[in-house]
Amino acid sequence: MSSAHSAPFHDVVIVGASVAGISAADTLRAEGFEGSILLVGDEPEAAYARPALSKSVLSGTQQPADVALPPLDDDIELWTDTRALALDPSASTVDLSRSGQRETIRFGAAVLATGCRPRTLGTPGQRGERVLRSMQDTMTLAQALAVPGITVAILGGGFLGMEIASTARGLGAEVTVVDVAPHLLRQLGPELAGMVTAAAQDHGVQLELSPTGAQLAGTTEVTGLLLAGGRVLDADLVITAVGDLPNVEWLAGSGLPSTAALEVGPGGFVVPGVVAAGDMTARRDQTGELLRTPHWHSAISQGRAAARTLLNGPPDRDPPSTPYFWTEGFGLETKITGTIPPGVRPIVIDGALAELSAVLQWRVDGQPVAAASVNRAMPLPKLKRLATPSEPAAMNGAS
Amino acid sequence: MRIDVDRARCEGHGVCEESAPEVYRLDDDGEPVILVDPIPPELARKAEAGARLCPVAALRVVDS
Repeated sequence: MSSAHSAPFHDVVIVGASVAGISAADTLRAEGFEGSILLVGDEPEAAYARPALSKSVLSGTQQPADVALPPLDDDIELWTDTRALALDPSASTVDLSRSGQRETIRFGAAVLATGCRPRTLGTPGQRGERVLRSMQDTMTLAQALAVPGITVAILGGGFLGMEIASTARGLGAEVTVVDVAPHLLRQLGPELAGMVTAAAQDHGVQLELSPTGAQLAGTTEVTGLLLAGGRVLDADLVITAVGDLPNVEWLAGSGLPSTAALEVGPGGFVVPGVVAAGDMTARRDQTGELLRTPHWHSAISQGRAAARTLLNGPPDRDPPSTPYFWTEGFGLETKITGTIPPGVRPIVIDGALAELSAVLQWRVDGQPVAAASVNRAMPLPKLKRLATPSEPAAMNGAS
Repeated sequence: MRIDVDRARCEGHGVCEESAPEVYRLDDDGEPVILVDPIPPELARKAEAGARLCPVAALRVVDS
């Protein structure tokens, strides 16, 4: 027998202390929940504005303390530097490693929000591959970039890779970004991707395609990238930004799947008494496809929904939600809401892409499905309206 | 309690407004507006929760 019966009890344990977890905690309180809440996170610091890492924190214009989020209320207990080891949903316990010390906590209900980590390409024995996900990663990378004239190779031309490229270039580095597919094309479509990549090249960043993939060069120390056709791109610093892996391995032995993003039902429902939210989770869309939306804004709404599911039970279906995400770099701030449909040209609602200031809308069968703003201060609700099919009622009398 | 906005840092993502529309609004130019100042006790919790979600940490909770 374990000592689980005598283990400390919390009405709700939230595993993961970034934005999905704090959103769940705050929502429980906002909805009137008065039980005890314990929030645990494996990073040494409390929650911070993760989207700022690749930009202002990496560039050094903001310090870690500048991007710390306001502390939680006193009636929510926070344990930092605490890693989840195991979950037992039937016994309602979670095993934790708190500053290296193993502890078992009994819970009334649990919110799983352990996020994800960067996918890496290094083989055992290869040293020096850099990534950016946590505050610690960022500080390590910032230090490495503080060498005048350093050459940097970034593998991965998505949002993260291009944002790191912009910041590194701003710090004076010689930067090359390599991808297997045209940079940002999948995320932004050809029009916006073309605008950002042109700006990147104007800023002196090299963009390279390696259609058959790329590997890290160097047997012990990483010295660059091996590209298609055997070409080698040498670099002082190699950064990979090739996607992320959900932190689900700690669920092994829990009876829940632990090899891919955790599939959740409406409202983040997992099993009775257990819900999940944020980057570790995936949901079925209307077509039955399993989708992850690892964005700040999604983590918030999922954390909120998960808290409500604990209090009220799971909803029949998730309310319709419009994804919202953004990227910044090379003097461009682009905000996107909705899902950009492949092969559809956007309508320019205002401004012009050539002027680097525009509002775009994508329509399918005459109905708006996505909108984007470039270098425009525009309230989010307004942008969202441009990405949402108009209600028949709104057609009359719309002002 | 009051909410301080770092206007230079605000990028107009509007997460605060979505979370606590009684407290936060982005005006037509995308500029943040605090609708109630100081924050009355019944809105304090909601205001703080909204401040905690800012993706650029532009909102500070200040005791007054």
